[in-house]
Amino acid sequence: MKRWRYLLNKISWALFTIIFVIILNFFLFRILPGDPARAGVRDPRLTKENIEAIRVRYGLDKPIVNCFESLNPIKLGSCTVNPLDTQFFIYMGNLLQGDMMISFHTNRPVTEILSERLGNTILLIGAGQILAIIFGVLFGMFSAWKARTAIDYGSLTISLVAWSLPTFWLGVILLFWGSNHGMPIAGMSTPGMSSYPLLSQWGDIAKHMLLPTLTYTIVYMGEYMLIMRSSLLDVLSEDYILTAKAKGLSVFQILKDHAITNAMLPLVTIIAINLGFTVGGVIQIETVFSWPGLGMTTVEALNRRDFPVLQGAFLLIAVAVILSNLLADLAYSYLDPRVKTE
Amino acid sequence: MEAQIVKPTQATTRFQDFWGVFRKNYMGLVGLMMLVSAILVAIFAPVLSPYDPSSTFDVTTSDIYNPPSSTHWLGTDDAGQDVLTNFIFGARVSLTIGFFAAFISLAIGGVFGIIAGFYGGRTEEVLMRFTDIMLVIPDLPLMMVLIALTKPSIINIIIVIGALYWTTTARVVRSQTLAVKSRKFVLRARAIGAGKGHIIRHHILPLVLPILVVQAVLVVSSAVLAESTLSFLGLGDPTALSWGQMLNYAFGRGAMSTGAWWALVVPGFGIVWVVLGLTLLGQGLEQVLNPRLDTHHLMPSRPPVKSEAAKRSDEETLLEVKNLSINYVNDGHAPARAVENISFTLKKGELIGLVGESGCGKTTLMLGLLRLLPSAGQIVNGQVYFKDQELTALSETELNKVRWRGVSIVFQGAMNALNPVRTVGDQIAEAIIQHLPDFDSKNIPGRVTDLLELVGIAAEHKDQYPHQYSGGMRQRAMIAMALACNPEVVIADEPTTALDVMIQAQILELLDELRKKLGLAIVFVTHDLGVVAEMCDKVLVMYGGVTAEYAEVDTIYNMPRHPYTQELLKAFPDLTKPKKKLSSIPGYPPRLDALPSGCRFAPRCPAAFDRCRTEQPALHELAGDTHIVSCHLVEASK
Repeated sequence: MKRWRYLLNKISWALFTIIFVIILNFFLFRILPGDPARAGVRDPRLTKENIEAIRVRYGLDKPIVNCFESLNPIKLGSCTVNPLDTQFFIYMGNLLQGDMMISFHTNRPVTEILSERLGNTILLIGAGQILAIIFGVLFGMFSAWKARTAIDYGSLTISLVAWSLPTFWLGVILLFWGSNHGMPIAGMSTPGMSSYPLLSQWGDIAKHMLLPTLTYTIVYMGEYMLIMRSSLLDVLSEDYILTAKAKGLSVFQILKDHAITNAMLPLVTIIAINLGFTVGGVIQIETVFSWPGLGMTTVEALNRRDFPVLQGAFLLIAVAVILSNLLADLAYSYLDPRVKTE
Repeated sequence: MEAQIVKPTQATTRFQDFWGVFRKNYMGLVGLMMLVSAILVAIFAPVLSPYDPSSTFDVTTSDIYNPPSSTHWLGTDDAGQDVLTNFIFGARVSLTIGFFAAFISLAIGGVFGIIAGFYGGRTEEVLMRFTDIMLVIPDLPLMMVLIALTKPSIINIIIVIGALYWTTTARVVRSQTLAVKSRKFVLRARAIGAGKGHIIRHHILPLVLPILVVQAVLVVSSAVLAESTLSFLGLGDPTALSWGQMLNYAFGRGAMSTGAWWALVVPGFGIVWVVLGLTLLGQGLEQVLNPRLDTHHLMPSRPPVKSEAAKRSDEETLLEVKNLSINYVNDGHAPARAVENISFTLKKGELIGLVGESGCGKTTLMLGLLRLLPSAGQIVNGQVYFKDQELTALSETELNKVRWRGVSIVFQGAMNALNPVRTVGDQIAEAIIQHLPDFDSKNIPGRVTDLLELVGIAAEHKDQYPHQYSGGMRQRAMIAMALACNPEVVIADEPTTALDVMIQAQILELLDELRKKLGLAIVFVTHDLGVVAEMCDKVLVMYGGVTAEYAEVDTIYNMPRHPYTQELLKAFPDLTKPKKKLSSIPGYPPRLDALPSGCRFAPRCPAAFDRCRTEQPALHELAGDTHIVSCHLVEASK
């Protein structure tokens, strides 16, 4: 029973956070300076009528919310308008139907653009995250097991350096190196590849993925290594490890059967919390390698002041991070029997 | 007058104490030097840089992306400017933004943390929930949106970074405030009616400050990284050439295609230098403020020192300990002699009591028997035999076959002696699988149930986790596990401390029963003489790591010869003489790193004379070799 209450608690908290983000996202773009319509279409030849037409098209002519005509500059309006006819509720209503307006720049629905790009980002994060976790955990384990030896100090130093590297700079350096060694320098596939058989198409994508994934792995591996090291050191000084040793288990058995699971518990939480920061790294990597994912979309939208896309991308990223945090909580409750049955 | 003189000295000593420890932390020291050098470069930029960064009038197209040369040591950039000059002046921009942004977020985080921790209740709830939300929202996208919607200027960048990087600080400061709040002097200050502002300023802030310093180091590095990232993404102040901005221009304006690596490497090096310096400094400070021992149970133990084998006793013994000595290596100091020259024998079905105050080496001796000592511990003399095997000479692999199969251990307190994430039944089965490979795997669950029932735990608890057990159940489960492979010797280290009296009695009864039923030999470590009198065959009284007295239980109770044994018995209630006054031994056992030069008990001994303080007594054998006493008085009367 306790477990269900725990899960319910976590789920409702995630929902609350998502609603908070949606509201923040809506008002952020209306409180801060810059008329969305004019910022999006910066053409001096536009007449007043044209601008008004654009405003009508994007629904910007409606009051933002009851009593407020606009928030920047603050202009009070009638409080008796139908709430369903305000920008806020139209936005919410559309969002519920999966509709996130139309891009200022390409005229395509934002949902369509984002769903196209989302998969590419997940591919990159997935590959990088898996590699970073594997190598980070392995190095961290080794380092903790061989604590206070040259191996430990060596991998500590490497991790700290890797941690201090700005993601985009590492990407730039790897890209520079790769471009001199025949690696593809931009995008996720060679143009014209679509006429080739599927297998060589995949090979092509893998080749394009190599450097971005490597960047991701190096940057996040160091952190996982440090966390794993300190977590495992804590576990290895617990009494039950001494029990396991007294039971005549080998070092390998003790690590495998008694230490790793326990040491992984904090890592699960941190990996999830990290996903928030990981998104920051992915934006940089995608920009450097022109990887057509959410991050690049965000930066492009930013440079074109394409607010609907920017707003949509931000919302999608935030929701994804909140959901992965929730997932971590659920995984934690599954891994740690103390949560499961208390 | 006096108080004024004392105060500054105290402050300096506190700083000197800190510096004394920090000085030896290479990681922190290197980090500090890296940071200071970067700050010096920023301050003395005009002196250090070879060119004036603002002069661009004589630049021609041929100056663009020139490789490093004698006129431009680090080459030129996309605008034909000297990279070294821009690098040096870039330090100013990057560091200024980093420090100011960090200052803002530390202020926000500090205030939130202190208010939440100090006031508690609803205020805390609201503030911390808000912090949680901010922690989940990905910060780079949010910063990008905020800056895109405002204007990319230095001030805006500082404000945005400062406004987003306070979450961790708020959490850390809150928990520190909570910890400080319940300390005595704060409670006292509240009791005498000190105002809240006063308490926060004078009592809480000084103790939160060290944590804020560590946080500051981390936040500055995050801020420097954030600024460079934003600039690289084209959201920096176009008029301020920070390292990130230099990279943005180089990357966006053809450094890649012209092969101008210097324009890409140099500014990045600056960022890495500052961030790495801050990271190292932060790690160093953390290590100094929260020192932790990087030791654990799997670190390789020191191999026993080979010593000449003493003659073994002729009897059929299961466990025989000969002149065993164990030291703890103490970096730079003389080793602590935790156990010295201990000998005893144990036969089938026998129960030996190992008695002494806390800190007299009982646990060390017990761990030493199976070579389970922590990495600083080392057997420096003597042997341990299990039947015909010399445990002190076996390899780790050979030893693993004796551990639990031949000799098993019931650990003290069993609270954490069971793995919290595996069921109790599973942990018992593990021992069987490990040591009895011929055991039919179908019968293992049955065997586990039998073992649990043997110690009075119902079968339905088999698949439960340790946290679902009560303290007494855990202790009994530990005993069940110790019996899983039918060992011949069980070492029980104070198996009943921290348990209530009823359960203590149950467990002792159980052990005694098993001894009679299975012919188990038991080494029973305890400081409870009542238990010893009731159950043991032999008693080894230890004091300060050495044998005080070793004899049959009757001899110990009726004819104790060592003053320590005598004093211990006086401290123990005798039911036949209920009116007798109980006495306790004044003083404390010796510290192992500062042992007295003579008899270790001499400082507390009521019968000590001059010789006791200078010469350590030998082990004297009385009544054949069945009664051993280490006391000068015995020699005198022999």
